[in-house]
Amino acid sequence: MLTIENLKAAAGEKEILRGLDLQVNAGEVHAIMGPNGSGKSSLAHILAGREGLDVKDGSVTFDGRDLLELEPEERAAAGVFLAFQYPVELPGVNNTHFLKEALNAQRRNRGEEELDSVAFMKLVREKMELVSMKPELLKRQVNAGFSGGEKKRNEILQLTLFEPRLAILDETDSGLDIDALRTVSEGVNAVRSEERAIILVTHYQRLLDYIEPDFVHVLADGRIIRSGDKTLALELEKKGYNWITDSEAA
Amino acid sequence: MNQSEGTLIRRLACDHQPAEKSRDENPWLRVLKKEAASWICDLPLPNRKMEAWRYTPVEFIDSTAFTVDEEAPFEALDPSDIEELLLPGSEWTDRVVFVNGRYAPGLSDLKTGNGMTLYTLAGESKLPSGFKRQIGQADLSDRFFFTLNNALMSDGAVIHVTGQSGARRRLELLHITVGMPDPVIHNPRHLVVLENNAGLELVERYTSLGKSSYFNNAVIDIHLSEGSELLHTRLQEESELAQHLSHLTVKLERQSHYQQVSLAAGGAWSRTDAQIIFNGEHAHAELDGLILAGSKQLNDVHLEVLHEVPNCTSREHFKGLLSANGKIVFDGKILVARDAQKTDAALNNENLMLSRSAEVDTKPQLEIFADDVKCSHGATVGELDPEMLFYLRSRGIPKAEAERMLCTAFANEVVSRISESSLRDHAKRMVLRRLASRGEAA
Repeated sequence: MLTIENLKAAAGEKEILRGLDLQVNAGEVHAIMGPNGSGKSSLAHILAGREGLDVKDGSVTFDGRDLLELEPEERAAAGVFLAFQYPVELPGVNNTHFLKEALNAQRRNRGEEELDSVAFMKLVREKMELVSMKPELLKRQVNAGFSGGEKKRNEILQLTLFEPRLAILDETDSGLDIDALRTVSEGVNAVRSEERAIILVTHYQRLLDYIEPDFVHVLADGRIIRSGDKTLALELEKKGYNWITDSEAA
Repeated sequence: MNQSEGTLIRRLACDHQPAEKSRDENPWLRVLKKEAASWICDLPLPNRKMEAWRYTPVEFIDSTAFTVDEEAPFEALDPSDIEELLLPGSEWTDRVVFVNGRYAPGLSDLKTGNGMTLYTLAGESKLPSGFKRQIGQADLSDRFFFTLNNALMSDGAVIHVTGQSGARRRLELLHITVGMPDPVIHNPRHLVVLENNAGLELVERYTSLGKSSYFNNAVIDIHLSEGSELLHTRLQEESELAQHLSHLTVKLERQSHYQQVSLAAGGAWSRTDAQIIFNGEHAHAELDGLILAGSKQLNDVHLEVLHEVPNCTSREHFKGLLSANGKIVFDGKILVARDAQKTDAALNNENLMLSRSAEVDTKPQLEIFADDVKCSHGATVGELDPEMLFYLRSRGIPKAEAERMLCTAFANEVVSRISESSLRDHAKRMVLRRLASRGEAA
């Protein structure tokens, strides 16, 4: 589904990815772990199409298409979804309006029929229940004045609503208490399927207790320096990142 | 004075003496106009050396051969002609229509017996002398266009509201300009007086039928007596070729309450000169404004809030939205007199620029002579937040639509202050139309 080959990228003068390779197939859950500043979040944002991160070399192929050629909105319609570490507040933009516009824009782009208000409201209420989100958050402005947990739930609500082919969760566990982490994880697990792939970008092993990955990769200094199964995450938790980065250096 | 400037418009004002022959005009009006005309001959035309006109070019006034429209074409209009201009689904009970600066009774819809009385300057019915005095006591020595209005005014509404019934009334003061072959200057002159404890919702609109070039030079004076309350919505929807200048003065007596939401969208050249004057204690004024400036548009708001007495509060919040080569001038000043202790006033101007060729000149000011006050002022100029845009686009919303959503959100902060829903919807549509067309000449 997703093939990243020798990806090199920079933010201005600063190199952030230095030849990264990754293969993600449908049905798989990959965890990308690594120390702060290793480039994990940048990778997530490059896949979603953020401006200001320049790809210098390499390729990203998504379902046979050159992902890097697509605008952010085209990537979304193609099925790439990024749950933000810091969901952006949009004062003055009503949450229901935003969710409906986003879903219908994706559907339009794919040549599917738009959902009318009735069908949309039915769908969104169903999904809100899944992520234990208070219904009144629909009437509020997007993320504005939301608590940290409410913002993350709003991201996962979008994940369940858009049903993307590839979901990239950027530090979704950060700043969540155990209860919020559990409901967010339930939301993610609910969308796990044979057709869908998930990339979890995380600093801590904690999230992986709730969402069990098929593969764990360690990203350091702009490259994946080790890959393994979920036991790699447990080992990391015990021994710290230095265990790998030092042995790499050695 | 410089004789070479403003010759056309000055000659118009000086020549257009209300000679006894021309119309059977009310004699008191004729006297006022004559006096104003004598002033105008000596008043300098606004120019960039004057602080109040530093960023607002007025060359058009000297390069256009304006005429004064003697015979208004409203007789030719019937209600079906103006249907497109009416607020859909509005519950407004009363409507006073001015066509090309003159009262159009056939298009107006005014009920009587609800404590509201309408007089017109040109009308037959006798205007009580108190109102004549109020119109006549204007200071003509200073402001060129204001004095020009006085010299050329031919009609206007005097709206008198008494508080006896205690009920709320709604009135739409609708200005319609019908295009004429030659550029015409209209000078409507209105007076709104709320007696003690009276309440009114006033909608002041400026619209046009067809794309035509004209200059609307309006004056509206508002007097709020003790305990009265006015909700004032101002919608400037002039033709995109028009020049629009409105002079607004609001005088607040004790415990009166003034709330204004204004939306200035039309016109090639548009300016508001507003003065809010606190005359009595414990009065409150609140003004929210949205200023739109797109291709080939200049939109100027000059606002003065004069706290002359203690214990009054005022809030002024104006937002500018600029695209293409649009230009906005904002000059807002809060002045607190020495005796005006415990004044609580805040003024704020925010601007969102969608284009690098747009220009905004903003100048919020505080002048405080009292020592126990709470005042603040500020201005910001910014572009659309790239983080917000990326967030929306990453959700599948195309760039142009994402921009439109953020602009609408910016505008809605002002528009949502309009409490009446059909009016609010109308204002929202105005903004959306403008946002949809903004790219055309960018």
